[in-house]
Amino acid sequence: MINKFTTLAEAVKLVRQGDMLALGGMTLYRRPVAFVRELIRQGTSDLTLLAFTAGFASDLLVGAGLVSRVRTCYFGLEAFGLAPMFTKLASAGKVKIIEETEASIAFGLRATLAGVGFMPGQGWLETDLLKVRPDVRLVDDPYSGRRYVAFPAIRPDVAVIHARLADPSGNAVLGGNLAVDQELSMAADRVIITAEQVVDKLEERADIVGLRVRAVVEAPGGARPTSCYPDYPLDAAEILRYVETCASGGFAEYLREFINSEFPIHNVQ
Amino acid sequence: MTDYTVDELICVCIARQVEDGEVLAQGLATPLVMAGYLLARLTHAPNVVFGSAIGNTLCAEWAPLSLARIEDIWLGRAIALTSFPQLVCDTLFSLQPKEFFRPGQIDLYGNSNNIFMGGSYERPHLRLPGCGGIADVTTYHSRVYFYVPRHSRAVFVEKLDFLSGLGHGHPLPDYSGPHYLVSDLGQFDFKGEGGRMRLISCHPGVTVEQIQRKTGFPLEVAPDLHETPPPTAEEVRLLREEIDPLGIRKLETLSGARRRRKLREIIEREQWHGLVHQNSHRQGH
Repeated sequence: MINKFTTLAEAVKLVRQGDMLALGGMTLYRRPVAFVRELIRQGTSDLTLLAFTAGFASDLLVGAGLVSRVRTCYFGLEAFGLAPMFTKLASAGKVKIIEETEASIAFGLRATLAGVGFMPGQGWLETDLLKVRPDVRLVDDPYSGRRYVAFPAIRPDVAVIHARLADPSGNAVLGGNLAVDQELSMAADRVIITAEQVVDKLEERADIVGLRVRAVVEAPGGARPTSCYPDYPLDAAEILRYVETCASGGFAEYLREFINSEFPIHNVQ
Repeated sequence: MTDYTVDELICVCIARQVEDGEVLAQGLATPLVMAGYLLARLTHAPNVVFGSAIGNTLCAEWAPLSLARIEDIWLGRAIALTSFPQLVCDTLFSLQPKEFFRPGQIDLYGNSNNIFMGGSYERPHLRLPGCGGIADVTTYHSRVYFYVPRHSRAVFVEKLDFLSGLGHGHPLPDYSGPHYLVSDLGQFDFKGEGGRMRLISCHPGVTVEQIQRKTGFPLEVAPDLHETPPPTAEEVRLLREEIDPLGIRKLETLSGARRRRKLREIIEREQWHGLVHQNSHRQGH
């Protein structure tokens, strides 16, 4: 077994300026927040952010100015409303959006996994998405003659996935909410696992096979304030505090506090 | 007459559209829909199966709505866990789940926009969160439904700023266009000429004129226009006591500071409930 155990600071160095960085988890669930904190501290910029759904962690990255391009099918805070910094910067035209939907990301990752340039799908036909994504082409089905959208392969440079448990070689247990993480762990060029706990040997079956994992980091509470089911729920009070702080123009202050705090960040009532 | 609020009426209208035994998809940030689905599950549709965009699961059991522990509903009680790409690529076409979408803008034919509002694509007045999978499934899906918690001219528009969900009138083989829309003012179908939206019922106390004033295109009215039947006492009880005691469904009818106030109230109540739960079960954090 190859030991890939390392520190957060070292793992973050696997992300290079200009990379396409994929965040594991879903909107406010099992996001690699500790990793994002260290990334903001190191200031790696000009990133293309790939998040199936983007929420709190992505909004911090965008607000911190590290993201030049966003690829996601949803960028928001669910019940907490709009993602404040994305909404502000995207509305001002200050972050480029590469429009994606559930299907374009799902089929795009599957194309990479299959080693082909695209996967055909029925989505997007007749919509304006094709106008703002001129790189996305149509393809004729050689059997039926029907026309489909050829969703192009998506290959992230780096994927960061927060797990409940991992072993030092990168096999990891996700805890139920699989999100897009199995696919990311096979599609990305470099894969980083942060975990609540790193153990010598997993007692349960792994969701992520560590063959392509480059770094394993122990980060207890590393998803907070997002959830890590079933270990801890979403810290709703902290997400609301973020929304309220941003609503009164306090993002810079929130970010300063965030990067200077030791993880986990937790709103104690 | 039963005392009810408009969010409860929307939930009841959604529940009435559910048929027993069908698969129901729940999108992101749609508690009104979830409450409506659960109301159907607890009344006339005990055999529905939920597909969740949050937990990536198929689930036949249920739990009350939650803000912080929403995954408990989906992950703790799942029939099967799937990844999101599996859900999207392998199940949506074969299962054709019924789904209620919330459009940022919608036009007369049920075309929708969840990308931006006002200004231009490059410099919008308001960038929206995105269309999720609406652009994907409305091209082939036969069970597309809508809900609009705050009916206004900003939502019901003559011309969309961006087309990210298909309504009626597109030349595609496998699709039927949207079927139904409920707002806080009334119910609509798409049985007008060429799939045009028609008002089929006004909610109690709302007039056709009021709805027309808040709609950005000329309203077509069904010949058998009626009043939306109000919720029953039992439906209201189920919503308030069993399905959503924290009142999370109400968030969708609020915005800005009022929404944040409601969130604060819900979080405090949920933390208190959580403490009670922890103490009674002697569980860890």
